[in-house]
Amino acid sequence: MNPTTETAWLLVGTNLLLFLALAPLFDGIVRRVAARVQNRQGPPLWQPLYDLLKLLGKENIDAVGILPFRLAPLVALASILCVVMILPVAGRATALTPYADTLTLIYLLTLGGVAVLVGAFSGKNIFALIGASREMTTMIMVEPILFMILLLGVIKTGSLELTTVLYGTPAGDYGWSGLIMIVIALFALQAFVGRQPFDIAEAEQELLGGPFIEYSGPNYALFKYYMMIKQMFYAYLPIAVFVPLLHSGLLVVDLILQLLLTALVFLVIGLLAATHPRYRIDQALNYFAGLFVLALGAVAGALFG
Amino acid sequence: MRKELEAQLAAQLRDEVVCVEKTDQRTIFIDVKREAIRRAARIVTEAGGRYMCGVGYDNIARDGTLGMVHTFSMDRNDHFICVRTKVPAIDPVMESITPDLPSAGWSEREFMDMLGMQFTNHPKPKRLVLADDWPAGIYPLRKEVPYDLVPPGADDVAYQLDEAPPGTKIVPIGPFHPSLHEPEHFAVYVDGETIKGCDYRGFMTHRGIEKLCQTQVSYNEVPFIAERICGICGSVHATAFSQAVESAGGIKIPRRAEYIRTLMLEIERIHSHLLWLGVAGHLIGFDTVFMQAWRVREQLMWLCERLTGNRKTYGMVLIGGVRRDITPEIADDIRAVVKKIEEELRVIHRAIEKDSSIHKRTKGVGTITKEETIAWGLIGPVARARGVDIDARRDHPYAAYNDMKFDVPVLTDCDVWSTLVVRVLETYEAIRIIHQVLDKMPAGPIFVELKDKIPALRHAITTVEAPRGESTHYVITGEDNRPDRWRVRAPTYTNLQAVPLMLLNEQFGDFPIIMGSIDPCFSCTDRVAVIDLQSGKASSMTRRELEFLSREQLHRA
Repeated sequence: MNPTTETAWLLVGTNLLLFLALAPLFDGIVRRVAARVQNRQGPPLWQPLYDLLKLLGKENIDAVGILPFRLAPLVALASILCVVMILPVAGRATALTPYADTLTLIYLLTLGGVAVLVGAFSGKNIFALIGASREMTTMIMVEPILFMILLLGVIKTGSLELTTVLYGTPAGDYGWSGLIMIVIALFALQAFVGRQPFDIAEAEQELLGGPFIEYSGPNYALFKYYMMIKQMFYAYLPIAVFVPLLHSGLLVVDLILQLLLTALVFLVIGLLAATHPRYRIDQALNYFAGLFVLALGAVAGALFG
Repeated sequence: MRKELEAQLAAQLRDEVVCVEKTDQRTIFIDVKREAIRRAARIVTEAGGRYMCGVGYDNIARDGTLGMVHTFSMDRNDHFICVRTKVPAIDPVMESITPDLPSAGWSEREFMDMLGMQFTNHPKPKRLVLADDWPAGIYPLRKEVPYDLVPPGADDVAYQLDEAPPGTKIVPIGPFHPSLHEPEHFAVYVDGETIKGCDYRGFMTHRGIEKLCQTQVSYNEVPFIAERICGICGSVHATAFSQAVESAGGIKIPRRAEYIRTLMLEIERIHSHLLWLGVAGHLIGFDTVFMQAWRVREQLMWLCERLTGNRKTYGMVLIGGVRRDITPEIADDIRAVVKKIEEELRVIHRAIEKDSSIHKRTKGVGTITKEETIAWGLIGPVARARGVDIDARRDHPYAAYNDMKFDVPVLTDCDVWSTLVVRVLETYEAIRIIHQVLDKMPAGPIFVELKDKIPALRHAITTVEAPRGESTHYVITGEDNRPDRWRVRAPTYTNLQAVPLMLLNEQFGDFPIIMGSIDPCFSCTDRVAVIDLQSGKASSMTRRELEFLSREQLHRA
């Protein structure tokens, strides 16, 4: 094994470690921001990690009794970890990046969502079913927006290769279609991370957690971890795509800058979540439809403009 | 008023009217034979009566009958009309008035359960109050049934839900559900996400407070039990009961006591509306409104702690007056606190007034028309948000409200948003009333000793405008220094009956806020206490733990 592949494998590990460690911390930021907006002190920043550990130590109850129900949380977490492993670190491909491309990324992200649906549909709980149908409708509307954000990169660079698509376009080359896409990415952010006003599938006051209602203990912890990491990915995505790398030559400096920016995105997520009520599913769909049309326009602009 | 009504009744019902009497300035009793009850109710309704509630009582020991009173309010000329009839206990059948007055549905069902009455042509003669496994033939409110009877339970019985409309699924809301806060069960029939119907099974925490007070305690203890009917509008119930007994016994209480009652009622209204605002925020998933409204509310609870020793459940009201006086120092304290609350509420009000996402969730949601509101006899902010201009404080003034200047906010958008605005505006009015009370309060005693015995078998009715709408109390005085019959009709009892109508064809996601928009108080409806008082434990904590727990409390010192 030559030194470069060794570094590349090191990057896989780094990415995994960073996401696994920081995802709960960033979730903690959201909770703390919300608390401050509400004149509360809020929980410790590491509270989400404590929650996970506590859940992992509990009895694993198989509420439904069929295999898909037990497998769903594993598949969800595994798929999002795969995403993390193929994700380039601050513009540098990991050892696994060459084996995947932009489409693989989208597939893997969708797989996680599908796992949530499988888990919910494997039982007969009406709250889980309503939650899952909401989750599905949301996915159908929101995934294309993610797709088009990446498609813009594909069009600009003429490549499907992940590092190129994510980091290949200098900010100036995006033009007005890129600007529109940044706005779309911001407006879709809360939907990507499933926070207010778009925490419709879980909707505590209506559906008591929706798709996850039958899950508890370690199985639920896996789902929670999946959601935290997914959330971190979606917060990191606009930073990777739209904010040019520092190119300081030092990986660590580039990375730290990117992580700080991601933390900033989480600040925004927390603020938005704390200042909005939950939308109804029909209202959310109208909203997504608007974003979708806008995104389509931006892609068309990139093609012909 | 009495003359005209009597003429009307005599013309239409002839000798089926037994008597029409006016017992005080406000109350007219009409005794009719049982055959005429439905027609009499119709005549009173046509004369402008708004149905309040039914009161059934056991009179078997005296003349072998069960009594039934349908009470109405004439809101425009300050009268209560009580249409009274009796049926022999061996054949307790009378005609139902529910086909004409839907809001009488529960009152009649309640006395089917509790007294064994039967109402012909009742549209939904299902069990309402009693548990599903309560044996048939035992009617708890009859005098022969002991207050502590515990019949054996049964496992093989369950409430039969109304048939679901075709093509719908049933979503069970409750007994435990985050948007309920108290154990009740709604079966919501949904088609996709659209609500197509709803059945309600409540009264899961019915503990028979009425029976207890009719058999075990004396007049002066009842106000404290009444206060524990509700964790939020306790003073309302204590005041309403005391007023009913004072009215029946012809007791005149000192003016200063009436002012202090007014003060407590308005403090309670501010507390309740702020609490509701927070809950409403939570129900649409907007926890910042929740936290901020409750932060503002908290100072009022501290104030009440200084004022009465308790954050809630003030224990101020007695028959004959109140227990604690308001000193000039505490008056200044109250002024300062409500002034601060008003300032902070205005900040919240401004923030939500123009918030388009809150509008999205509340405007045009839970809409029913003004006509439907009147037909269902809805009350309180729920009615005032739908253009129905009623408020017991103005229409049937009690305590010191005839000295107060205040507006009754009425909106006409008929949706959840207008109930929110009505409640916020009412809070400002409550603060206005509190300032007036403190400025105008006359000097003098706060309590009058009861010299004579309260005469037995007098009927009296009072209403007090609770934060959720009028609370109606009906008292029949008894012989053993306790009421012979005491009937409590909390506002939720009326408003809850129209919730299925508000839910119809709405989105399932709006269920919590539509339900919440009536500010439901199930404990009032079921008539039990829901307060959990913690005590003693604090003394065993270390100072640091205490400090942590009461961080905010320390800040205010």
